[in-house]
Order: sequence, then structure tokens, then C-alpha cells
Amino acid sequence: MLKINNLNAKIENKSILNKFSLNINPGEVHAIMGPNGSGKSTLSNILSGKKGYEVTGDVVFDGSDLFKLETEERAHRGIFLAFQYPLEIPGVNTNIFLKTSLNAVRKARGEKELDAIEFLKLVKEKAKELKFDEEKLNRQLNVGFSGGEKKKNEILQMTILNPKLSILDETDSGLDIDALRIVADGVNSLRKENNSFLIITHYQRLLNYIKPDFVHVLMNGKIVKSGGAELAIELEKKGYESFS
Amino acid sequence: MRDKQIENLKEYKYGFSTDIDSIKAPKGLNENVIKFISNIKKEPKWLLEWRLKAYQRLKVLKEPDWQKPKYPKIDYQDLYYYSAPKSFKDKPKSLDELDPKLLETYKKLGIPLQEQKRLNGIAVDAVFDSVSVATTFKDTLTKQGIIFCSISEAIQKYPDLVKKYLGSVIPITDHYFATLNSAVFTDGSFVYIPPGVRCPMELSTYFRINASDTGQFERTLIIADRGSYVSYLEGCTAPMRDENQLHAANVELVALDDAEIKYSTVQNWYPGDKDGKGGIYNFVTKRGLCQGKNSKISWTQVETGSAITWKYPSCILKGDNSIGEFYSIAITNNHQKADTGTKMIHIGENTKSKIISKGISAGYSDMTYRGLVDISKNAKNSSNYTQCDSLLMGNKCGAHTVPYIKNKNSDSNIAHEATTSKISEDQLHYCQQRGLNSEDAVGLIVNGFCKEVLQQLPMEFAVEAQKLVGISLEGSVG
Amino acid sequence: MEKQLKTDFKKTIDSSDYSQKEIIVKEKCLNEFIRSGFPSKKNEDWKFLDINQAIKSKIDNLNYFNENLPNELDPKIYIDGLEHNKIIFINGRIEKIDFKYEESDKFEIKDQFDNRGLLNNVNSLVDLNLALATKYYKILVKEHYSFKKPLIIYNITTNKISSKNINIRLDFDLKSNSCLKIIDYSIDKSEKNFVNIVYNFSLEKDAIIKNYKLDTAENDNIKYSYNNFNLDTNSVAENFILSLGSSFIKNEINCNLNGKYSSAFVNGIFNLDNNKSHEIKTSINHLNENTKSYQLIKSVLGQNTKSAFQGKIFVKSNAQKTDGYQLSKAILLSDNAEFNAKPELEIYADDVKCSHGSASGSLNQDSIFYIMSRGLNYNEAKELLINGFLLDVVEKITDNEIKNLIKNIMGLKE
Repeated sequence: MLKINNLNAKIENKSILNKFSLNINPGEVHAIMGPNGSGKSTLSNILSGKKGYEVTGDVVFDGSDLFKLETEERAHRGIFLAFQYPLEIPGVNTNIFLKTSLNAVRKARGEKELDAIEFLKLVKEKAKELKFDEEKLNRQLNVGFSGGEKKKNEILQMTILNPKLSILDETDSGLDIDALRIVADGVNSLRKENNSFLIITHYQRLLNYIKPDFVHVLMNGKIVKSGGAELAIELEKKGYESFS
Repeated sequence: MRDKQIENLKEYKYGFSTDIDSIKAPKGLNENVIKFISNIKKEPKWLLEWRLKAYQRLKVLKEPDWQKPKYPKIDYQDLYYYSAPKSFKDKPKSLDELDPKLLETYKKLGIPLQEQKRLNGIAVDAVFDSVSVATTFKDTLTKQGIIFCSISEAIQKYPDLVKKYLGSVIPITDHYFATLNSAVFTDGSFVYIPPGVRCPMELSTYFRINASDTGQFERTLIIADRGSYVSYLEGCTAPMRDENQLHAANVELVALDDAEIKYSTVQNWYPGDKDGKGGIYNFVTKRGLCQGKNSKISWTQVETGSAITWKYPSCILKGDNSIGEFYSIAITNNHQKADTGTKMIHIGENTKSKIISKGISAGYSDMTYRGLVDISKNAKNSSNYTQCDSLLMGNKCGAHTVPYIKNKNSDSNIAHEATTSKISEDQLHYCQQRGLNSEDAVGLIVNGFCKEVLQQLPMEFAVEAQKLVGISLEGSVG
Repeated sequence: MEKQLKTDFKKTIDSSDYSQKEIIVKEKCLNEFIRSGFPSKKNEDWKFLDINQAIKSKIDNLNYFNENLPNELDPKIYIDGLEHNKIIFINGRIEKIDFKYEESDKFEIKDQFDNRGLLNNVNSLVDLNLALATKYYKILVKEHYSFKKPLIIYNITTNKISSKNINIRLDFDLKSNSCLKIIDYSIDKSEKNFVNIVYNFSLEKDAIIKNYKLDTAENDNIKYSYNNFNLDTNSVAENFILSLGSSFIKNEINCNLNGKYSSAFVNGIFNLDNNKSHEIKTSINHLNENTKSYQLIKSVLGQNTKSAFQGKIFVKSNAQKTDGYQLSKAILLSDNAEFNAKPELEIYADDVKCSHGSASGSLNQDSIFYIMSRGLNYNEAKELLINGFLLDVVEKITDNEIKNLIKNIMGLKE
């Protein structure tokens, strides 16, 4: 589904990713772990199409050259990024934002756009599953939300947009145990044959709730070790030092 | 020709013109033209004298030049001051007698005049070039004693009301364009709400400039008698022409004790093409007088059109406890220029005013918010809150904020806040990651930026305004 | 007026040894002034304070020649408790220059006329100043030199003069990485004169100027001060204006942030009573990337007083990442007080952070009540609140010694 081959990324002449390669097949859950500054967020930014990076290498998503697609086209084809720092957009109602983006994605996929009633039914159902306070859906997008609420809002958007590849950029940071479980439930509910996940995290604790198929250790812009779920536990014990 | 029109329509939806025979006053501005206008409208003698007095005054006034947008000198002798569809010489008694071409025009504008195609319970007065062509829902309104008709009709039927209030808020000695209007105004709307009546529907006027070389000088007068309420909407469009057209209207509002007037405008005059050729000069004087105690006047405007917009809908808060509000969205793109804002003059005690202004400039355009808050010595315990936010898109455009603040009363408070910002890359990226294209993302963020003002508009207008906000900024995102 | 001006101009020229070049410039400026006269209310920049009207009503037969009078210097006037260098003007003529705390090879004082930075065409008062200022001095601070002690410029007027126009002009040239602190201090024993002061500062990269202007002495003169700054890369201009004593004064500050990372600060206090009319007008021109400006102006207005703040932030289209901030606040203590503000933004670049705010009103009665409930009387409570309101601005002063001096002068308590 996603094939990254020899990806190099620079920002203002500083090299951040260095011959980074990764393959994700349909249905797989990959976790990327690494210390601060190892290039984790750069990876999610590049995959989602954020501008400002100098990039070389190949990234193929579902048979298309990813770099030829605009940010929104990537979203239409099923890439979803749960942002590390979800943005606040003043004046824009959360529900309206969700409906607009869902219909943009559905339209691009040739699916019928949802009317207000259908949408509200869907969003209510998903919000309930995630124990997301419905009242917040009528507030301005992320404005005045706590850190945890913002992250839950990302997961809510994810379950509604039903992406093929979900990238979770340090979604676990700043979450308490209950919120962590809710986030994990959201991810697990989407876990199907064709849906893949790339979980970027600093700590192992989220992986207690979402069992990854593969764990990769990212250091200085490169994967230095790959393994199964057990690698995360080893990492937690030994620390990143032992891999450098 | 058709093809070209269709081509044009894509850019400015309302850019068609209608071929209708019209009667025009001779070109130019002089006493004879003013007499011609007054005569053709069968006006009483006092009004002709009033017009001529304004004209005398005009001769000594100078065109103001302090505004930010400069414009080429207007040759006032090269304009028609009166243009009316020929079939109107004997005004039709009912809509059935209207020139079908006119009806067609309004249909294109989305304003069905036939009452059977009711527009969600909005009573419409349509002004085509210089004259009011039709007013809908008359019967329903008349039952409640509400007068809603063209000002020409009001001059004939309700001369006492017109005489009492015309020029009471904008005197004939006011500034250049207001005085010009007083001398040559042709038509416009007249509204009178009797004491204690809450007008059951939105009243609306649609203005359209059709004829070329024609200035449009309409005059609107709204009087809300004691304890009454009215919400009034104004929409405007014009055909696309290469030359600039002048629009210098006067709008006067009077609110007596406990009365409230809500006046909303969606201004979408032709802004000129993307190189700045053509377009309307919109030099309008709008002023409301809160004459009575506890009265309230609220202006809401969405300004997206015109080559140059130059207007300051104002409130004179004379009655104790009166309230003035101004909510504005102004968008300029390409080579458009706008210098707009408000004046809140606090005279009575306990008067309150609120100003929310959202300016967005894109392309090569230039936007100025200019406002005055003046709390006079006797306006005890008064207050004003002003918020002006500007959004810039690109660095070829300008955004300016020029508030004048005068506080002469120690019991009164004035608070003013202004910010200038841009749409952040991160916000755009976030929206695009959720599947919105860049223009939709900008539209969404801009509508969010404008929300406080959009909320003030009546429902039907708000939807239209939201779309307009998006359309006006098309092509402004790289 | 024209006749008087021409006669007095001739006397001025005859009484000194101006170069031919200088005379030509002076004549040009004189003619400019004659053409436009004193600015009146009709002039947008003078909307709030009408200097033309003030001069007309207060001063009879204004004359412009500043003859050399014998003066005595009273050392008691010197500011106490702060070692400082001095320039002393008495009635518009330099009486004494004393830079004893500085290394003599690190600065220069020049009196040659220099065509650069003439500041002609700024406004008619600057023209008048240029035409009639008796002497033109420039203080040059050499590279990498920081003045050890502040320079206090004493502007003294004595009771020997009346109905006189006094013009003072000083230029400051700060070479790269140099630093100078100035206190502009006026002592007026005269009345009914028009004092017109122009300072022109030019800062090379990394230079710092701290400019503190103290108008503390009660007087019945009309005053105008124009300070111009040109700032190169990473240089800083800090301004503080204490506007208290004069019956009529307008302080104008113009800063051109020409170099990247240059910054300008203008903080000001009006604390007025008894028929005083004061104004501060600023223009901060952001002309390059990453420039910064900050302005905070506070007014406390008593009986029959009027203060005005006109502050403009201009951002040129290439001045991306500009950070501009401006806030004006006023407390009106009397029904005969008037606060005027025109905070203006003119912005042509999109990646900027600019904001301004203004708030005016009465003393917060809830706060008064709260303080009184703790045992203070009304006047004490009022003073406490005003003290806090103004202290905020004084705290912005970055030089501690001068900050404490100003606190003492104002009687502010911490």
C-alpha cells in the first residue's frame, strides 16, 4: 500500500530524513519509535504533503507517485494524519468542518455526499463510541479544547473519514489513561483487512493498547532496527541509547 | 454577443445588461435637469425648491479628497441624472403591465417580482436605474399600517411624512456627494412603521444600474415610529461596463422612542475586471438617527463589489439609552479599493455602540477601515466597543485601520482592538489534509474569520453572503 | 508675520558665520514655512491639537530672532544623584558642553553644516527650525563605544525672554555597536514662548539609543519636539516620554526601521491637570524584515485637560515578519477632560503580526471600593490606582538608574 524507498528530506539545508525506507502492506500496523529530533514528525508532514521540505526519493501510495498528489488528493485517496498539534480555526464550527471534509472526500471517491441528517446521525454515533462530548461539536474547531479533547477530535475525524492509511503523530502524548484507551479503541475499530496504520510515538505505552505488527526504531533520520511488538518493550527497558 | 455575455457571466454573475428603451434627462448637471427630474416626477413645489437649494450649496462645495482610494476626476456634466424605462412613463398599475424584459431581468437576478413566486416572505421594492419598478406584498403590509413604497410614491401620497423627515438626518448642507444626491435623487424606497408595530417580514430593495453613463442617486428613508421594529435588506448589482459608473445614494434612518431598525446590505456592484477596468464607484451616505429613548439602529454590511467603495454607515445616538451597532465584512480583490467604516456619535446618556469590522484584502487591492467614536461631554455612562480585524492575502495588497477616538466624558468607556493577520500555512495544511482543496479551505477559514458579522444577517442573506465571500476571493490563493 | 520672519531671519543670518551653502538651505526652509505657516486643525496631523490657534491666542507678536543674552548658570538646577554629561541650552543658545565622564577620542562634537539628514519637507515647524536654529551641532559616538554616563540635555528658558520663538537642533550619529543614553530635561522660568526642538538620530548596525524626554516643569510655553530616527540592522531606539508640565506640548517621534532586526520602542505618560493640552504622535515605519516595534501610552486626565495620541504603524510590502504592537489607555478624572486617539495601521505585507488597542474610561469604582474597604480613604485609593496604572509604563524603561530617577520625579511607589 505504501512503499517508501530511499527518502531524503532537508529543511533549510539541514538533513532530517536520510535514505529512509519502509513498506506498509494492507492491514498492517507499523509503529515508528524514536527520540526527539529523530525525524518522526517530518515523516508525517511529508507523507501528508506539507510544503517547505526539500525531498528526494520515491514514495508510492496505492500505485501512485505520492509526490505528484496535492495534500487534499492524498486525503481523498485515504491518507489521514492525526496531527501532533491539531490546529485551532476560529469561527469555524467543528460539525461544519467535519461535514465539509467528509463530503469533499466522499465526492472525490465518487460516493454520494451526505445530507445534514445523515451526517449528524453518523457523527453522533461515532462521538458516542469515542465518548466525545457532543456539545463540543458545536463549538469552533479546536478553539478552547483541552489537549486531550483535541487529540480525541482527531481520532473522531479519523473514524468518520475512514481512511486506508492512518498516520498517528504522537497522538498519545498528553493523554491520560482513559483517553489513551479511547484513542486505542478508535484505532482498533478501524483495524480491518485493508486499513493500515503508521503510529509515530515516543513511548511504548500506546502500543499496550494497539498491538503493532512491526516496530521500527528511527534514529537520525534512518531506521536502525526493525522487529515485532517485542522490540517496543525492549526499547522501553534499554532506552534509545543502546541503539545509537 | 450571446456567447460573450455568457462568458462574462462566469466571472460576474450579474454582469448582463438589458436592452430596454429608456427616457433620459439631457446629459449634464444644471438647474434645468433638476427641474426636469422634479417635473417628470410631478413633485410638489417645496421639493423642487429643496433640490435647488441643495444644488446651490453643491456649487460652493468641493469634492472631498482625504480618502485613501483616489479616483480619476468625475465629469459631472457627462452623466445622465435620470434614466427610466420608457414603458414607465405611465407607471403600470400592476405587475402584469410591467415590461416583460424587466421581469426577465429580475428573474435573472433571482428576484421574482410576481407575488405568486414569493421569496420566503420578503417584501421587495426593485429599483431599476433611477426608478422603483415594483413593490411586492403591499396588501399584507398595508393592513398593519406599514408603508413600503417608492419614495416618489411617498412624496405624492404621504407628503407630510416625507417633508418632516427628508434631510433630517443628512441635511442638504452635508458633504459633496450627499448634497449632490439631494439635488438630483431620482427614486428609492420609503418605509414607515407605525407605533407599536413589529413588521412581520423582511423588507427588501434590490438596486440595479442598467443604463450606461448613468449615475444612480437613490434615496431611502426609513422611519420607525415609537415601539416599532423593522428589518430591511438591500442588495445591489450592475451590468459589466468598461467605464466607471457613479452610485451616490443617501439612506436616512430615524428611530423614535423604543423603536429598532436593522439595516442589512449585501453590496455586489460590478467591481471592474481583473485588471481594474470599469466598475462602480460606490460613494454612499448612510446615516441613522436614534432620536428617541431606548431606540436602536443596527447596520450590517457585506461589501464585496464596486471598484471603489467609500461609505460610513453611521449612528447618531441622541436618545438616552439608545444603541448603535455596525457589523461589516469588506472584501477587496484584484484592483478594488474600499475605504469604509462607521461613525458612532454619542450624545444621549447611557448610549452604547458596538463596531465589529472584518476586512479582507487580496490581489492588488487596498482596504481601509476608517471609523469615528465620539462620546460627547453630556453622554454620561456611555460605552463603545470596537474590534477591527484585517486579513491579508499576499503582499501586493494593503490593509489599513484608521480609527478616530474621542472621549470627552469621564463616566464613559471606549475600547478599541485591532489586529492584522494572514491565513497560516498550518491552518491551510490542516484543512487540506482533511480533503478540502485550497480555495475551499480559504473559503472556510475566511467565513470563520467573518462569522461574528455573518451571524447578524437574516438567514436567506447569510447563505448568499457566505457564497459571495468565497466567490469574491476566487483566484486569490496561489 | 511674514515681515517679522524676514527681518528676524536677516538678523539671525547676520549675527552668525553661516556658510553660503547653509544660508541657501535656510532661505529655502524659511520660504517653505512662509508658504505653509503654522499647521492648523485642517491639517490631518494636527487634528487634535491646534498649534496655530494656541500660538495666536497665547503669544502676541511672536518674534524669531534669538539674540545672545548674558546668562548665569545656576548649578542648583542640575539633576541630583546621577552622574552625567551635560549640554546646556539657555534660551536656545548653547551655554555649556561637558562630557567629562567620557574618553575624549571616542566621540566628536561637530558644528559643521552637513547636507545629510536635513529633514526638510517633514512639516512646516521642522522647516522653521532649520531656517532659524542658531547653531547646528552633531554628536558622533564612535564604533564600539558605549557612553559611560547618560547625557542630560538641559533646555532652560529664563524670564528674560517672552513672545519668542526658540529653535534648537541637535544631530546624533551613532556608529556601529555604540550606545548612548539621553535625558532631555527642560526647565522653564519663562512664559508665552514657542519652543521648537528637532533631534535627528542615525544609528548604524547594533547601535543603541535610549532617549528619555522629561517635561516636568510647570510652564506656560508652547512646545513642539520632533525626533527622527534612522535605524540600521539590529539597532534599537528606546523612547520614553513623560508629559506633565507644559501647558501645550506635542512630541513627535518618527522611526524608520531600515535594517533587518531593528526595533523601536515608544512609551509615554500623560499626567495632566489645569488646562493642559498634550499630544504624542508616532510614526513607526517597518521597512525591512523582522523589525519590531512596541508602544505603550497612558493618560491620566484632570480638570480641563486634553491628551491625544496619534500612532501609526506602517509596514512596507517587503517587511515580512514584522511585529508591531501599540496600546493607548486613558483614565478621565474629570468631566472636562478629553482623550483623543488615532491608532493607525497601514500594512502592505501579509506575514506580519500587528495590533493596536485603545481603552479609555473612568477609574474603576469597584477597585476604589475594594481598596477603601481595606481602610484607605477615597483620595488614597485613587492615588494608589493611578500609581499602579502609570508604574506599568515606567517599568518599561530598561536603564535602572534612570528608571529610579523617573520614579522619584513622579513620586511613584512600587
